[in-house]
Amino acid sequence: MKQALQIFLFTIVVSAFYWYVSLWVPQKRTDPPADVVIAADLSTEEMVAVGLEIAAGKGTCFTCHTVGEGGAGLRFPDLGTIGAVAGTRRDGVDDVQYLAESLYDPNAFVVEGFVAGMPNAARAPILLTDDEILTVIAYLQSLGGTPTVTLDTQLEWQGQIAPAATSAPQVAAGEPRDAQTLFTTYLCNTCHSLDGTVGAGPTLAGVGSRLSRAELYEAIVDPDATITEGFAAGVMAAMQTAIGFHEQVSTAELQSLIDYLAGL
Amino acid sequence: MVEPPNIIQESGSIERSPRRIAARASAWVAPIRPGCTLPAALIVAVIALLSSDIAVAGPQEASEDYRALPFISSRVIMWVVAELHLMFAAFVLAVPMFAIIIEFIGYKTGDKRFDELAHDFTRLLSVSFSFTATLGALLTFGLVIFYPALTEYLVKIFSWTFLPYVLLFFFEAFFLYAYYYGWGKFSPRVHLFLGVMLNIVGTAIMFIANAWLSFMNTPNGVDELGNLTSMWDAINNYIWMPINIHRLIANMAFGGAIGAAYGAYKFLGAKTLEERAHYDWMGYIGNFIAICALLPLPFAGYWLGVEIYAYDQSLGITLMGGTFSWLFIIQAVLIGNLFLAANYYLWLSMGRIGGAERYQRFIKYLLAVITVCFAVWATPHSLVATAEEARAMGGSHHPVLNVLGVMSAKNTAVNLLILTTYISFLLYRRSNKVATVRWARTGNWVQFGIFAAVVIYVIFLGVYGYFVDAQTRIGLSQPQVLAVLLAMISVTVIDVFLFRGAEKKGNIAWGKIPARSQYALFFLAITFAWTMGLMGYVRAGMRQHWHVYGVIRDNSVDAFTPTLGYAGLVVSVTVILFFLFIAVVFFLSGLSSKKSWAPKPE
Repeated sequence: MKQALQIFLFTIVVSAFYWYVSLWVPQKRTDPPADVVIAADLSTEEMVAVGLEIAAGKGTCFTCHTVGEGGAGLRFPDLGTIGAVAGTRRDGVDDVQYLAESLYDPNAFVVEGFVAGMPNAARAPILLTDDEILTVIAYLQSLGGTPTVTLDTQLEWQGQIAPAATSAPQVAAGEPRDAQTLFTTYLCNTCHSLDGTVGAGPTLAGVGSRLSRAELYEAIVDPDATITEGFAAGVMAAMQTAIGFHEQVSTAELQSLIDYLAGL
Repeated sequence: MVEPPNIIQESGSIERSPRRIAARASAWVAPIRPGCTLPAALIVAVIALLSSDIAVAGPQEASEDYRALPFISSRVIMWVVAELHLMFAAFVLAVPMFAIIIEFIGYKTGDKRFDELAHDFTRLLSVSFSFTATLGALLTFGLVIFYPALTEYLVKIFSWTFLPYVLLFFFEAFFLYAYYYGWGKFSPRVHLFLGVMLNIVGTAIMFIANAWLSFMNTPNGVDELGNLTSMWDAINNYIWMPINIHRLIANMAFGGAIGAAYGAYKFLGAKTLEERAHYDWMGYIGNFIAICALLPLPFAGYWLGVEIYAYDQSLGITLMGGTFSWLFIIQAVLIGNLFLAANYYLWLSMGRIGGAERYQRFIKYLLAVITVCFAVWATPHSLVATAEEARAMGGSHHPVLNVLGVMSAKNTAVNLLILTTYISFLLYRRSNKVATVRWARTGNWVQFGIFAAVVIYVIFLGVYGYFVDAQTRIGLSQPQVLAVLLAMISVTVIDVFLFRGAEKKGNIAWGKIPARSQYALFFLAITFAWTMGLMGYVRAGMRQHWHVYGVIRDNSVDAFTPTLGYAGLVVSVTVILFFLFIAVVFFLSGLSSKKSWAPKPE
């Protein structure tokens, strides 16, 4: 009996050790992507911001594609200059048509050096709506080019989505997390204080009175767009990459964070 | 500066789609596992009959798609039950595979010890079969109760496959009990035939069940609305055959490890040297089976991965480079530990062989290689760092470790790890032998040359991978694998001829091995079980918020993918529960060899 207990204790210790190993790696909970309702009066500039968010979230674009990582060895085309080159890839096809085809029918044309296999963004499992695809096109145009697309832009593929796919049930899973929880979940508090103390990043005390909601939004989704004097560029973006921020954060969470920061 | 977008989260109403069942089941509950029970299969068959339409329709809107429990997530309940069922099913399918091989060796050589050993292994079968059946029934009940809409859809898709499943289950029960209770009651040939049939039927059952679960990951044979277009295509989906092969091999490794743990348990409780010798040998054979199956397992896993990528690149990226990339660091720790423990056991085992001291000096070098390979394999591509650390590194990638955290380095490390373990086996095998053939010296040099050439080739390809494009780099893993396989096969063939008629330097003193070696066997069994739990999780988890990837979305409160720490906790609890059950199996199986009770004399 004593020996059996020793073996059982050994089993618990080994299992606990492996549990510890699993706690030692980054802890990320991944929620299903939330759908967004896009207001009909969005400007092209606003579409770029929405498109970035969709590309990073529901569109799952950054699961495979990089932005601004040149060099050999990439498995999928980098999107850093896609806005500049989209209109030159195929004769007689402008950038909007090219980008739309890349999203609706991605294997119709494959960039040299890469293999076919990208899924149709309008079909399952991605299921972007026509409007969402237009915003993603606006975002892609902004990468090295000038966004021209609007929500009124007509594309030959629009309306061809399977009816069921457009009406997929969209329910936010689980209890929504409050902003303070999000602030720690996404490790914002690691660098940013709320009490005026200067840390690795600027303090967020009073940030709501210093920055508009638009600026807050940009500071989160594109932290290197504007850098506070005395702080290095690239650090927050690197942190976001390390914790998989863009893959995880939902629209609702982003809104919640902005509301929270705007109130500080 | 851009204005914040006008984004409003949809909330409240659930739009029900004819295409997608608003199922509340976990996206990664693997609902149907091999070895499902007879009662469970009957229930499923009844449901299939009740719900069958002449033309299989796509998922329909259900009045009640999910049911929940008040205090605990139904997903966790199903997760644990499914995994326990899988572990027992794997064991029940694995034991007959190697038992019949051992029995056959005994039959051909006339050595009764092999027959006894095979019988010892099969003692564990009947109780385990009952556990598998009970857990399978629980799993099926759970699916029907908690996830009725999802279950209904799968039953409709695979309707008639449940009938052969039920029939095969009858046959499996017959052959299993006939094989166990018929030991020594039939002629050896008839008994071997029963064993072969047991294996064939068990494998067929697993293949059918694998079709159901692999369909959930890479659905095929259905149109965009989820309607069945081809039953065969649904069965023969992208990962069906890779999963079949991977599970066959993995079951063998797992079964061998549990069998070795049984040997270790009996060894530690043995009263006589004879008993200790027998169970020491049993532990050794179990470990040998486990490691022999472990060595080709990464190659089968590679094929499985290739098929996942072939089905949907983004699914593959999610698995290997996205949400679950850190899970493979945990897996590296597990597999690294398996190799370390297996080698450690072999090195301790050499202590009971006369003449093995000649090879002891090589152990430190083998350990060094294994440690380095282990460290490389477990090196993450990016690091979790504070802002200051990230700033100092210039990003989340460490300037040095980053180089080791990529597939070129990891593939090289894994291949060298396999080769090193093989060398440990080779040293063990020749511990008490001296080759006497005329070409012995040449043969040794040829073997050494093969090892050296393959090591250089594997390292060269690993380094070369840093300088080529991604497609070429991915293709390099195949020649690495083939080179290692070639080395193992060719060196083994040479070794067999080299040591024909070899001079014996000493005997194997079975039973004379330190107790810590038996704990190495327990460690191996626990690590195998944990690895199985973890990989079962990722196989189902990579679907993320889909029950059937791209066809039926998970809209339940459990649709999220939990943290790896949480998954690790569930796996740990499952493993502990499994070993509690296995302890019962060991205890009950041991009763058959105990003396009959008799009243104490007055």
